[in-house]
Amino acid sequence: MKKFQFTPRQMLSVVILSLGIIIAAVPKDTTTPYKLSADQILEEMKSGTQYLYPDLIAQMLVEGDPTLQLIDVRPPAEYEKYHLPGAINIPFDELLSSDYQYLLNQDVMMNVLYANGTTRANEAWMLIRQLGYDNNYVLTGGLNYWVETILNPQAPATSSPDDEFARYDFRKAASGALGGGAVAPVEQGSTAPAAIPRPRPQQKKQAVQGGCS
Amino acid sequence: MAPFVVYDIISENTNLLMAFFIGIGFGFILEQAGFSSSRKLAGVFYGYDAVVLKVFFTAAIVGMLGLLFFSLFGWVDMSVIYVNETYLYSAIVGGVIMGAGFIMGGYCPGTSFCAATIGKIDAIVFIGGMFLGVFIFGEGYPLWKNLYMAEFMGFPKISEFFGINEGIFVLLVIVAAVLMFWGAEWAEKKFPREEY
Amino acid sequence: MNPYLAGVLLGLVVLSANLISGRGLGASGAVKSAIVATVDVVAPAHTESSEYYEMALGTHGNPLNNWLVYQVLGVLVGAFLSGVLARRLKWKVEHSPKITSKTRLMFALAGGVLFGFGSQLGRGCTSGAALSGMAVFSLGGFITMAAIFGTAFALAYFFRKLWI
Repeated sequence: MKKFQFTPRQMLSVVILSLGIIIAAVPKDTTTPYKLSADQILEEMKSGTQYLYPDLIAQMLVEGDPTLQLIDVRPPAEYEKYHLPGAINIPFDELLSSDYQYLLNQDVMMNVLYANGTTRANEAWMLIRQLGYDNNYVLTGGLNYWVETILNPQAPATSSPDDEFARYDFRKAASGALGGGAVAPVEQGSTAPAAIPRPRPQQKKQAVQGGCS
Repeated sequence: MAPFVVYDIISENTNLLMAFFIGIGFGFILEQAGFSSSRKLAGVFYGYDAVVLKVFFTAAIVGMLGLLFFSLFGWVDMSVIYVNETYLYSAIVGGVIMGAGFIMGGYCPGTSFCAATIGKIDAIVFIGGMFLGVFIFGEGYPLWKNLYMAEFMGFPKISEFFGINEGIFVLLVIVAAVLMFWGAEWAEKKFPREEY
Repeated sequence: MNPYLAGVLLGLVVLSANLISGRGLGASGAVKSAIVATVDVVAPAHTESSEYYEMALGTHGNPLNNWLVYQVLGVLVGAFLSGVLARRLKWKVEHSPKITSKTRLMFALAGGVLFGFGSQLGRGCTSGAALSGMAVFSLGGFITMAAIFGTAFALAYFFRKLWI
Protein backbone atom coordinates (compact mmCIF):
# COMPACT_ATOMS: atom_id res chain seq x y z
CA MET A 1 0.00 0.00 0.00
CA LYS A 2 1.29 3.42 -0.93
CA LYS A 3 1.95 5.59 2.04
CA PHE A 4 -0.20 8.70 1.99
CA GLN A 5 1.82 11.85 1.79
CA PHE A 6 0.84 15.49 1.96
CA THR A 7 1.84 17.72 -0.92
CA PRO A 8 3.28 21.10 0.15
CA ARG A 9 0.01 22.73 -0.84
CA GLN A 10 -2.06 20.42 1.35
CA MET A 11 0.32 20.83 4.23
CA LEU A 12 0.22 24.62 4.00
CA SER A 13 -3.55 24.61 3.58
CA VAL A 14 -4.05 22.53 6.72
CA VAL A 15 -1.72 24.70 8.80
CA ILE A 16 -3.08 28.08 7.74
CA LEU A 17 -6.69 26.92 7.94
CA SER A 18 -6.23 25.73 11.52
CA LEU A 19 -4.43 28.90 12.55
CA GLY A 20 -7.13 30.93 10.81
CA ILE A 21 -9.87 29.12 12.68
CA ILE A 22 -8.09 29.71 15.98
CA ILE A 23 -7.60 33.41 15.37
CA ALA A 24 -11.17 33.81 14.09
CA ALA A 25 -12.47 32.17 17.26
CA VAL A 26 -10.66 34.60 19.55
CA PRO A 27 -12.96 37.43 20.53
CA LYS A 28 -11.81 40.73 19.10
CA ASP A 29 -11.56 42.56 22.40
CA THR A 30 -8.67 40.46 23.61
CA THR A 31 -6.67 40.98 20.46
CA THR A 32 -6.77 44.72 20.02
CA PRO A 33 -6.54 46.90 23.12
CA TYR A 34 -3.17 47.45 24.57
CA LYS A 35 -3.31 47.34 28.33
CA LEU A 36 -0.79 48.42 30.89
CA SER A 37 0.93 45.90 33.10
CA ALA A 38 0.95 46.21 36.89
CA ASP A 39 4.62 47.23 36.72
CA GLN A 40 3.90 50.11 34.39
CA ILE A 41 1.04 51.37 36.58
CA LEU A 42 3.20 51.17 39.67
CA GLU A 43 5.90 53.13 37.87
CA GLU A 44 3.42 55.87 36.98
CA MET A 45 1.98 55.95 40.47
CA LYS A 46 5.44 56.34 41.94
CA SER A 47 6.13 59.30 39.71
CA GLY A 48 2.72 60.80 40.61
CA THR A 49 2.29 62.55 37.28
CA GLN A 50 -1.45 62.03 37.40
CA TYR A 51 -1.92 64.55 40.24
CA LEU A 52 -2.93 68.09 39.39
CA TYR A 53 -3.14 70.88 41.94
CA PRO A 54 -6.32 72.89 42.47
CA ASP A 55 -4.61 76.12 41.39
CA LEU A 56 -4.02 74.78 37.92
CA ILE A 57 -7.59 73.60 37.57
CA ALA A 58 -8.88 76.91 38.91
CA GLN A 59 -6.78 78.78 36.41
CA MET A 60 -8.01 76.63 33.55
CA LEU A 61 -11.60 77.14 34.70
CA VAL A 62 -11.18 80.90 34.91
CA GLU A 63 -9.56 81.01 31.50
CA GLY A 64 -12.29 78.77 30.13
CA ASP A 65 -9.78 76.28 28.74
CA PRO A 66 -11.80 74.17 26.31
CA THR A 67 -9.65 71.07 26.79
CA LEU A 68 -10.50 70.73 30.47
CA GLN A 69 -13.09 68.10 31.32
CA LEU A 70 -13.87 67.73 35.01
CA ILE A 71 -15.32 64.38 35.97
CA ASP A 72 -17.08 63.93 39.29
CA VAL A 73 -16.81 60.29 40.38
CA ARG A 74 -19.02 60.67 43.45
CA PRO A 75 -22.56 59.24 43.61
CA PRO A 76 -25.19 61.24 41.69
CA ALA A 77 -26.85 62.53 44.88
CA GLU A 78 -23.66 64.24 46.01
CA TYR A 79 -23.04 65.52 42.50
CA GLU A 80 -26.51 67.10 42.48
CA LYS A 81 -25.82 68.85 45.75
CA TYR A 82 -22.59 70.47 44.62
CA HIS A 83 -20.12 70.04 41.82
CA LEU A 84 -17.41 72.04 40.18
CA PRO A 85 -18.47 74.24 37.27
CA GLY A 86 -18.71 72.26 34.03
CA ALA A 87 -18.12 68.91 35.72
CA ILE A 88 -19.91 65.83 34.48
CA ASN A 89 -20.88 62.95 36.70
CA ILE A 90 -19.51 59.46 36.15
CA PRO A 91 -20.29 57.63 39.41
CA PHE A 92 -17.50 55.35 40.53
CA ASP A 93 -19.81 52.32 40.47
CA GLU A 94 -20.47 52.86 36.78
CA LEU A 95 -16.95 53.68 35.77
CA LEU A 96 -16.60 50.68 33.49
CA SER A 97 -20.07 50.98 31.99
CA SER A 98 -19.82 51.15 28.23
CA ASP A 99 -21.83 54.42 28.21
CA TYR A 100 -18.87 56.36 29.52
CA GLN A 101 -15.94 54.78 27.71
CA TYR A 102 -15.96 57.34 24.92
CA LEU A 103 -15.45 60.07 27.52
CA LEU A 104 -12.65 58.30 29.33
CA ASN A 105 -10.82 56.80 26.37
CA GLN A 106 -10.06 59.71 24.07
CA ASP A 107 -7.20 61.89 22.88
CA VAL A 108 -8.74 65.34 22.83
CA MET A 109 -9.66 66.42 26.34
CA MET A 110 -7.75 66.54 29.56
CA ASN A 111 -9.94 64.62 31.97
CA VAL A 112 -9.60 65.53 35.62
CA LEU A 113 -11.23 63.09 38.01
CA TYR A 114 -12.26 64.26 41.46
CA ALA A 115 -14.11 63.06 44.54
CA ASN A 116 -14.32 64.43 48.06
CA GLY A 117 -10.78 63.38 48.86
CA THR A 118 -7.96 62.10 46.71
CA THR A 119 -8.40 58.37 47.22
CA ARG A 120 -11.60 57.63 45.34
CA ALA A 121 -10.57 59.61 42.27
CA ASN A 122 -7.18 57.99 42.30
CA GLU A 123 -8.74 54.53 42.43
CA ALA A 124 -10.81 55.45 39.42
CA TRP A 125 -7.71 56.72 37.65
CA MET A 126 -5.87 53.46 38.35
CA LEU A 127 -8.68 51.42 36.88
CA ILE A 128 -8.96 53.32 33.64
CA ARG A 129 -5.21 53.74 33.34
CA GLN A 130 -4.93 49.97 33.47
CA LEU A 131 -7.15 49.83 30.41
CA GLY A 132 -4.57 51.97 28.66
CA TYR A 133 -6.62 55.17 28.57
CA ASP A 134 -4.57 58.32 28.30
CA ASN A 135 -5.15 61.95 29.27
CA ASN A 136 -6.78 61.24 32.61
CA TYR A 137 -5.69 63.06 35.78
CA VAL A 138 -6.64 63.34 39.44
CA LEU A 139 -7.48 66.50 41.35
CA THR A 140 -5.18 66.46 44.36
CA GLY A 141 -7.01 66.63 47.65
CA GLY A 142 -10.40 66.48 45.99
CA LEU A 143 -13.24 68.84 46.80
CA ASN A 144 -12.17 69.21 50.44
CA TYR A 145 -8.82 70.68 49.49
CA TRP A 146 -10.47 72.69 46.72
CA VAL A 147 -12.74 74.42 49.25
CA GLU A 148 -9.81 75.00 51.57
CA THR A 149 -7.45 76.46 48.98
CA ILE A 150 -9.53 77.98 46.22
CA LEU A 151 -12.86 78.93 47.73
CA ASN A 152 -11.60 80.02 51.16
CA PRO A 153 -7.96 80.86 50.76
CA GLN A 154 -6.01 81.82 53.85
CA ALA A 155 -3.92 84.93 53.64
CA PRO A 156 -0.27 83.99 54.01
CA ALA A 157 1.77 85.32 56.89
CA THR A 158 3.40 88.68 56.21
CA SER A 159 6.82 87.07 56.27
CA SER A 160 5.95 84.68 53.40
CA PRO A 161 7.76 84.89 50.11
CA ASP A 162 6.23 86.92 47.28
CA ASP A 163 4.94 84.02 45.29
CA GLU A 164 2.84 82.98 48.28
CA PHE A 165 1.10 86.34 48.02
CA ALA A 166 0.76 86.03 44.29
CA ARG A 167 -0.85 82.66 44.71
CA TYR A 168 -3.14 84.04 47.39
CA ASP A 169 -4.23 86.90 45.13
CA PHE A 170 -4.93 84.48 42.36
CA ARG A 171 -6.92 82.17 44.60
CA LYS A 172 -8.88 85.11 45.92
CA ALA A 173 -9.76 86.17 42.40
CA ALA A 174 -10.51 82.64 41.27
CA SER A 175 -12.65 82.14 44.33
CA GLY A 176 -14.76 85.10 43.27
CA ALA A 177 -15.08 83.86 39.75
CA LEU A 178 -15.89 80.33 40.83
CA GLY A 179 -18.46 81.19 43.47
CA GLY A 180 -16.40 81.08 46.65
CA GLY A 181 -16.86 82.94 49.95
CA ALA A 182 -16.20 86.63 50.35
CA VAL A 183 -15.51 88.28 47.03
CA ALA A 184 -12.60 90.63 47.30
CA PRO A 185 -11.92 92.90 44.33
CA VAL A 186 -8.51 92.34 42.90
CA GLU A 187 -6.35 95.38 43.37
CA GLN A 188 -5.16 96.86 40.17
CA GLY A 189 -1.45 96.55 39.70
CA SER A 190 -1.10 93.60 42.00
CA THR A 191 1.28 90.94 40.84
CA ALA A 192 -0.17 88.68 38.21
CA PRO A 193 -0.82 85.12 39.31
CA ALA A 194 2.33 83.15 39.04
CA ALA A 195 2.23 81.05 35.92
CA ILE A 196 1.61 77.51 36.96
CA PRO A 197 3.36 74.87 34.94
CA ARG A 198 0.79 72.94 33.00
CA PRO A 199 1.29 69.28 32.41
CA ARG A 200 1.28 68.34 28.79
CA PRO A 201 -1.20 65.62 27.97
CA GLN A 202 0.76 62.43 27.60
CA GLN A 203 1.80 61.92 24.03
CA LYS A 204 0.73 58.63 22.60
CA LYS A 205 3.46 56.64 20.95
CA GLN A 206 3.80 58.09 17.51
CA ALA A 207 2.78 55.71 14.75
CA VAL A 208 5.45 54.92 12.22
CA GLN A 209 5.48 56.81 8.95
CA GLY A 210 5.65 54.07 6.40
CA GLY A 211 4.32 53.36 2.99
CA CYS A 212 6.06 53.20 -0.31
CA SER A 213 4.86 56.35 -2.04
CA MET B 1 7.08 45.18 22.99
CA ALA B 2 7.27 45.50 19.24
CA PRO B 3 7.64 47.48 17.02
CA PHE B 4 11.13 47.88 18.42
CA VAL B 5 11.88 51.27 16.92
CA VAL B 6 8.76 52.86 18.41
CA TYR B 7 9.47 51.45 21.85
CA ASP B 8 13.07 52.67 21.71
CA ILE B 9 14.46 49.15 21.85
CA ILE B 10 16.55 50.00 18.82
CA SER B 11 17.71 53.43 17.69
CA GLU B 12 16.86 55.17 14.43
CA ASN B 13 20.22 54.26 12.96
CA THR B 14 19.94 50.62 13.98
CA ASN B 15 16.53 50.70 12.34
CA LEU B 16 18.14 51.70 9.05
CA LEU B 17 20.69 48.93 9.44
CA MET B 18 17.86 46.48 10.10
CA ALA B 19 16.19 47.75 6.93
CA PHE B 20 19.28 46.59 5.06
CA PHE B 21 19.11 43.11 6.61
CA ILE B 22 15.37 42.86 6.03
CA GLY B 23 16.06 43.80 2.43
CA ILE B 24 18.62 41.00 2.14
CA GLY B 25 16.03 38.52 3.32
CA PHE B 26 13.46 40.01 0.97
CA GLY B 27 15.73 39.88 -2.08
CA PHE B 28 17.08 36.44 -1.27
CA ILE B 29 13.63 34.89 -0.96
CA LEU B 30 12.26 36.61 -4.06
CA GLU B 31 15.18 35.31 -6.09
CA GLN B 32 14.98 31.83 -4.58
CA ALA B 33 11.28 31.69 -5.38
CA GLY B 34 12.17 32.29 -9.01
CA PHE B 35 10.87 35.86 -9.17
CA SER B 36 13.91 36.91 -11.15
CA SER B 37 12.38 35.38 -14.26
CA SER B 38 9.81 37.49 -16.09
CA ARG B 39 8.35 34.51 -17.93
CA LYS B 40 7.81 32.73 -14.64
CA LEU B 41 6.15 35.83 -13.18
CA ALA B 42 3.91 36.30 -16.21
CA GLY B 43 3.00 32.61 -16.04
CA VAL B 44 0.35 33.30 -13.43
CA PHE B 45 -1.71 35.20 -16.00
CA TYR B 46 -1.68 32.30 -18.46
CA GLY B 47 -2.01 29.51 -15.94
CA TYR B 48 1.25 27.75 -16.72
CA ASP B 49 3.06 28.85 -13.59
CA ALA B 50 1.25 30.21 -10.54
CA VAL B 51 4.30 30.84 -8.38
CA VAL B 52 3.38 34.53 -7.99
CA LEU B 53 -0.05 33.71 -6.67
CA LYS B 54 1.28 31.08 -4.29
CA VAL B 55 4.11 33.15 -2.86
CA PHE B 56 2.14 36.38 -2.72
CA PHE B 57 -0.92 35.06 -0.92
CA THR B 58 1.01 32.76 1.40
CA ALA B 59 3.20 35.71 2.42
CA ALA B 60 0.26 38.05 2.99
CA ILE B 61 -1.53 35.43 5.07
CA VAL B 62 1.55 34.64 7.16
CA GLY B 63 2.01 38.37 7.74
CA MET B 64 -1.61 38.84 8.81
CA LEU B 65 -1.68 35.75 11.03
CA GLY B 66 1.66 36.68 12.57
CA LEU B 67 0.55 40.18 13.49
CA LEU B 68 -2.75 38.96 14.94
CA PHE B 69 -1.11 36.24 17.04
CA PHE B 70 1.65 38.54 18.25
CA SER B 71 -0.96 41.11 19.15
CA LEU B 72 -2.98 38.43 20.94
CA PHE B 73 0.03 37.53 23.07
CA GLY B 74 0.62 41.23 23.76
CA TRP B 75 3.96 41.28 21.96
CA VAL B 76 3.14 43.96 19.45
CA ASP B 77 1.29 47.25 19.70
CA MET B 78 -0.85 47.17 16.59
CA SER B 79 -1.99 50.74 17.12
CA VAL B 80 1.37 52.20 16.08
CA ILE B 81 2.07 49.96 13.10
CA TYR B 82 1.74 51.81 9.85
CA VAL B 83 -1.45 50.99 7.97
CA ASN B 84 -1.22 52.17 4.39
CA GLU B 85 -3.46 55.10 3.64
CA THR B 86 -6.40 54.74 1.28
CA TYR B 87 -7.09 57.24 -1.46
CA LEU B 88 -9.79 55.34 -3.31
CA TYR B 89 -9.45 56.63 -6.86
CA SER B 90 -5.69 56.79 -7.05
CA ALA B 91 -5.44 53.29 -5.56
CA ILE B 92 -7.68 51.94 -8.33
CA VAL B 93 -6.24 53.94 -11.23
CA GLY B 94 -2.68 53.45 -10.00
CA GLY B 95 -3.33 49.73 -9.66
CA VAL B 96 -4.76 49.52 -13.18
CA ILE B 97 -1.72 51.29 -14.63
CA MET B 98 0.60 49.03 -12.64
CA GLY B 99 -1.32 45.98 -13.87
CA ALA B 100 -0.76 47.08 -17.47
CA GLY B 101 2.90 47.67 -16.70
CA PHE B 102 3.13 44.24 -15.12
CA ILE B 103 1.81 42.34 -18.14
CA MET B 104 3.90 44.39 -20.57
CA GLY B 105 7.12 44.55 -18.60
CA GLY B 106 6.90 41.21 -16.85
CA TYR B 107 8.26 42.55 -13.57
CA CYS B 108 7.18 44.58 -10.61
CA PRO B 109 9.67 46.95 -8.96
CA GLY B 110 10.91 44.52 -6.31
CA THR B 111 11.34 41.60 -8.68
CA SER B 112 13.02 43.78 -11.32
CA PHE B 113 15.73 44.68 -8.79
CA CYS B 114 16.26 40.99 -8.09
CA ALA B 115 16.38 40.08 -11.76
CA ALA B 116 18.78 42.91 -12.56
CA THR B 117 21.33 41.72 -10.01
CA ILE B 118 21.57 38.32 -11.67
CA GLY B 119 22.08 39.82 -15.09
CA LYS B 120 18.64 40.05 -16.72
CA ILE B 121 19.02 42.87 -19.25
CA ASP B 122 15.26 43.22 -19.67
CA ALA B 123 15.04 43.91 -15.92
CA ILE B 124 17.68 46.63 -16.16
CA VAL B 125 15.69 48.25 -18.97
CA PHE B 126 12.53 47.89 -16.88
CA ILE B 127 14.22 49.69 -13.98
CA GLY B 128 15.26 52.45 -16.39
CA GLY B 129 11.65 52.74 -17.48
CA MET B 130 10.54 52.86 -13.86
CA PHE B 131 12.83 55.79 -13.13
CA LEU B 132 11.42 57.51 -16.19
CA GLY B 133 7.85 56.81 -15.05
CA VAL B 134 8.46 58.22 -11.57
CA PHE B 135 10.15 61.26 -13.11
CA ILE B 136 7.18 61.83 -15.45
CA PHE B 137 4.84 61.60 -12.47
CA GLY B 138 6.89 64.14 -10.53
CA GLU B 139 7.20 66.57 -13.44
CA GLY B 140 3.54 66.45 -14.42
CA TYR B 141 2.28 66.34 -10.83
CA PRO B 142 -0.08 69.35 -11.15
CA LEU B 143 -1.90 67.50 -13.95
CA TRP B 144 -2.88 64.52 -11.80
CA LYS B 145 -2.80 66.12 -8.40
CA ASN B 146 -6.59 66.12 -8.14
CA LEU B 147 -6.81 62.42 -8.91
CA TYR B 148 -3.90 61.71 -6.57
CA MET B 149 -5.60 63.43 -3.66
CA ALA B 150 -9.23 62.50 -4.39
CA GLU B 151 -11.43 60.45 -2.04
CA PHE B 152 -9.09 60.24 0.94
CA MET B 153 -10.53 57.67 3.32
CA GLY B 154 -7.93 57.86 6.06
CA PHE B 155 -6.15 54.71 7.15
CA PRO B 156 -9.01 52.22 7.17
CA LYS B 157 -8.58 48.53 7.78
CA ILE B 158 -10.49 46.30 5.42
CA SER B 159 -11.94 44.37 8.34
CA GLU B 160 -13.35 47.60 9.82
CA PHE B 161 -14.66 48.57 6.42
CA PHE B 162 -16.71 45.39 6.25
CA GLY B 163 -17.50 45.58 9.95
CA ILE B 164 -16.06 42.19 10.84
CA ASN B 165 -13.46 40.89 13.23
CA GLU B 166 -9.91 40.81 11.83
CA GLY B 167 -9.61 37.12 12.74
CA ILE B 168 -12.70 36.21 10.76
CA PHE B 169 -11.46 38.27 7.85
CA VAL B 170 -8.15 36.37 7.83
CA LEU B 171 -10.04 33.09 7.85
CA LEU B 172 -12.01 34.22 4.79
CA VAL B 173 -8.79 35.18 2.99
CA ILE B 174 -7.28 31.81 3.93
CA VAL B 175 -10.27 29.89 2.58
CA ALA B 176 -10.11 31.92 -0.64
CA ALA B 177 -6.36 31.32 -0.92
CA VAL B 178 -6.66 27.58 -0.34
CA LEU B 179 -9.23 27.38 -3.13
CA MET B 180 -7.02 29.51 -5.41
CA PHE B 181 -3.97 27.35 -4.72
CA TRP B 182 -5.99 24.29 -5.59
CA GLY B 183 -7.23 25.91 -8.80
CA ALA B 184 -3.75 27.14 -9.67
CA GLU B 185 -2.19 23.69 -9.41
CA TRP B 186 -4.98 22.35 -11.55
CA ALA B 187 -4.24 25.05 -14.16
CA GLU B 188 -0.52 24.30 -14.06
CA LYS B 189 -1.29 20.72 -15.03
CA LYS B 190 -3.75 21.79 -17.69
CA PHE B 191 -1.56 24.42 -19.40
CA PRO B 192 1.93 22.99 -19.02
CA ARG B 193 4.95 24.69 -20.59
CA GLU B 194 8.34 23.28 -21.20
CA GLU B 195 11.20 24.77 -19.23
CA TYR B 196 11.82 28.35 -20.24
CA MET C 1 12.56 26.63 -3.55
CA ASN C 2 9.03 25.42 -3.10
CA PRO C 3 6.74 28.42 -3.67
CA TYR C 4 4.73 27.81 -0.49
CA LEU C 5 7.90 27.65 1.59
CA ALA C 6 9.09 30.83 -0.11
CA GLY C 7 5.72 32.41 0.68
CA VAL C 8 5.97 31.50 4.35
CA LEU C 9 9.51 32.88 4.55
CA LEU C 10 8.51 36.06 2.72
CA GLY C 11 5.60 36.43 5.12
CA LEU C 12 8.06 36.17 8.01
CA VAL C 13 10.16 38.91 6.41
CA VAL C 14 7.09 41.15 6.17
CA LEU C 15 6.26 40.31 9.76
CA SER C 16 9.74 41.13 11.02
CA ALA C 17 9.71 44.44 9.15
CA ASN C 18 6.53 45.28 11.03
CA LEU C 19 7.85 44.05 14.37
CA ILE C 20 11.21 45.78 14.07
CA SER C 21 10.35 48.94 12.21
CA GLY C 22 6.56 49.10 12.43
CA ARG C 23 6.20 49.27 8.67
CA GLY C 24 6.06 47.08 5.60
CA LEU C 25 8.41 46.41 2.72
CA GLY C 26 8.70 48.46 -0.42
CA ALA C 27 10.55 48.98 -3.63
CA SER C 28 9.16 51.84 -5.68
CA GLY C 29 9.58 54.26 -2.79
CA ALA C 30 13.35 53.94 -3.15
CA VAL C 31 13.11 54.81 -6.84
CA LYS C 32 11.23 57.93 -5.89
CA SER C 33 13.87 58.84 -3.30
CA ALA C 34 16.57 58.42 -5.93
CA ILE C 35 14.69 60.57 -8.44
CA VAL C 36 14.00 63.28 -5.88
CA ALA C 37 17.63 63.28 -4.74
CA THR C 38 18.89 63.46 -8.32
CA VAL C 39 16.57 66.28 -9.31
CA ASP C 40 17.49 68.12 -6.15
CA VAL C 41 21.18 67.93 -7.03
CA VAL C 42 20.78 68.75 -10.72
CA ALA C 43 18.20 71.49 -10.41
CA PRO C 44 17.63 72.59 -6.81
CA ALA C 45 15.54 75.55 -7.89
CA HIS C 46 13.23 73.22 -9.75
CA THR C 47 12.58 71.01 -6.71
CA GLU C 48 11.72 74.08 -4.70
CA SER C 49 9.16 75.24 -7.21
CA SER C 50 7.57 71.84 -7.73
CA GLU C 51 4.95 70.92 -5.20
CA TYR C 52 5.58 67.21 -5.58
CA TYR C 53 9.34 67.28 -5.00
CA GLU C 54 8.83 69.76 -2.21
CA MET C 55 6.46 67.33 -0.55
CA ALA C 56 8.87 64.43 -0.96
CA LEU C 57 11.82 66.40 0.36
CA GLY C 58 10.00 68.18 3.13
CA THR C 59 9.76 65.44 5.72
CA HIS C 60 13.34 64.28 5.99
CA GLY C 61 16.69 65.86 5.26
CA ASN C 62 18.48 63.71 2.74
CA PRO C 63 15.98 61.72 0.67
CA LEU C 64 18.48 58.91 0.31
CA ASN C 65 18.85 58.45 4.05
CA ASN C 66 15.63 56.58 4.06
CA TRP C 67 14.45 53.21 5.37
CA LEU C 68 13.30 52.03 1.95
CA VAL C 69 16.54 52.99 0.26
CA TYR C 70 18.54 50.84 2.70
CA GLN C 71 16.02 48.07 2.33
CA VAL C 72 16.32 48.08 -1.48
CA LEU C 73 20.12 48.03 -1.20
CA GLY C 74 19.60 44.91 0.90
CA VAL C 75 17.35 43.45 -1.79
CA LEU C 76 20.11 43.88 -4.35
CA VAL C 77 22.62 42.13 -2.07
CA GLY C 78 20.21 39.35 -1.10
CA ALA C 79 19.11 38.61 -4.64
CA PHE C 80 22.71 38.59 -5.83
CA LEU C 81 23.69 36.14 -3.07
CA SER C 82 20.81 33.88 -4.01
CA GLY C 83 21.76 34.09 -7.68
CA VAL C 84 25.35 33.12 -6.84
CA LEU C 85 24.22 30.17 -4.71
CA ALA C 86 21.80 28.96 -7.38
CA ARG C 87 24.38 29.57 -10.14
CA ARG C 88 21.97 31.76 -12.05
CA LEU C 89 24.26 34.70 -12.82
CA LYS C 90 24.14 35.24 -16.56
CA TRP C 91 23.63 38.20 -18.88
CA LYS C 92 20.40 37.40 -20.63
CA VAL C 93 17.30 38.90 -22.20
CA GLU C 94 14.46 36.64 -21.32
CA HIS C 95 11.61 36.42 -23.80
CA SER C 96 9.24 34.12 -25.60
CA PRO C 97 10.78 32.45 -28.67
CA LYS C 98 8.11 34.16 -30.75
CA ILE C 99 9.51 37.66 -30.28
CA THR C 100 12.91 39.28 -30.70
CA SER C 101 15.03 40.62 -27.88
CA LYS C 102 14.44 44.11 -29.21
CA THR C 103 10.67 43.77 -28.90
CA ARG C 104 11.08 42.38 -25.41
CA LEU C 105 13.26 45.30 -24.34
CA MET C 106 10.85 47.85 -25.79
CA PHE C 107 7.97 46.32 -23.86
CA ALA C 108 10.12 46.10 -20.74
CA LEU C 109 10.79 49.83 -21.02
CA ALA C 110 7.12 50.63 -21.58
CA GLY C 111 6.12 48.37 -18.70
CA GLY C 112 8.69 50.05 -16.47
CA VAL C 113 7.40 53.51 -17.31
CA LEU C 114 3.82 52.44 -16.56
CA PHE C 115 4.81 50.69 -13.35
CA GLY C 116 6.86 53.65 -12.19
CA PHE C 117 4.04 56.05 -12.89
CA GLY C 118 1.36 53.79 -11.43
CA SER C 119 3.33 53.14 -8.26
CA GLN C 120 3.45 56.87 -7.57
CA LEU C 121 -0.22 57.36 -8.26
CA GLY C 122 -1.17 54.28 -6.24
CA ARG C 123 1.23 55.18 -3.39
CA GLY C 124 3.20 51.98 -3.59
CA CYS C 125 3.86 48.97 -5.75
CA THR C 126 3.15 45.28 -5.44
CA SER C 127 5.42 45.04 -2.39
CA GLY C 128 4.72 48.36 -0.69
CA ALA C 129 1.01 48.81 -1.26
CA ALA C 130 -0.33 45.38 -2.10
CA LEU C 131 1.71 42.85 -0.09
CA SER C 132 2.61 44.96 2.94
CA GLY C 133 -0.75 46.71 2.86
CA MET C 134 -2.57 43.40 2.93
CA ALA C 135 -0.48 42.14 5.83
CA VAL C 136 -1.68 45.06 7.97
CA PHE C 137 -5.26 44.83 6.69
CA SER C 138 -5.12 48.12 4.79
CA LEU C 139 -8.20 48.64 2.67
CA GLY C 140 -6.12 50.45 0.07
CA GLY C 141 -3.69 47.52 -0.05
CA PHE C 142 -6.43 45.12 -0.99
CA ILE C 143 -7.87 47.52 -3.57
CA THR C 144 -4.48 48.08 -5.20
CA MET C 145 -3.77 44.34 -5.20
CA ALA C 146 -7.09 43.60 -6.90
CA ALA C 147 -6.54 46.38 -9.44
CA ILE C 148 -3.01 45.22 -10.34
CA PHE C 149 -3.78 41.54 -10.75
CA GLY C 150 -7.24 42.15 -12.23
CA THR C 151 -5.87 44.44 -14.94
CA ALA C 152 -2.94 42.18 -15.73
CA PHE C 153 -5.33 39.26 -16.06
CA ALA C 154 -7.72 41.23 -18.24
CA LEU C 155 -4.90 42.34 -20.57
CA ALA C 156 -3.07 39.01 -20.58
CA TYR C 157 -4.75 37.87 -23.78
CA PHE C 158 -3.49 40.87 -25.77
CA PHE C 159 0.10 40.43 -24.71
CA ARG C 160 0.26 36.62 -24.86
CA LYS C 161 2.85 36.66 -27.65
CA LEU C 162 5.34 38.26 -25.28
CA TRP C 163 5.29 35.30 -22.95
CA ILE C 164 3.99 32.09 -24.46
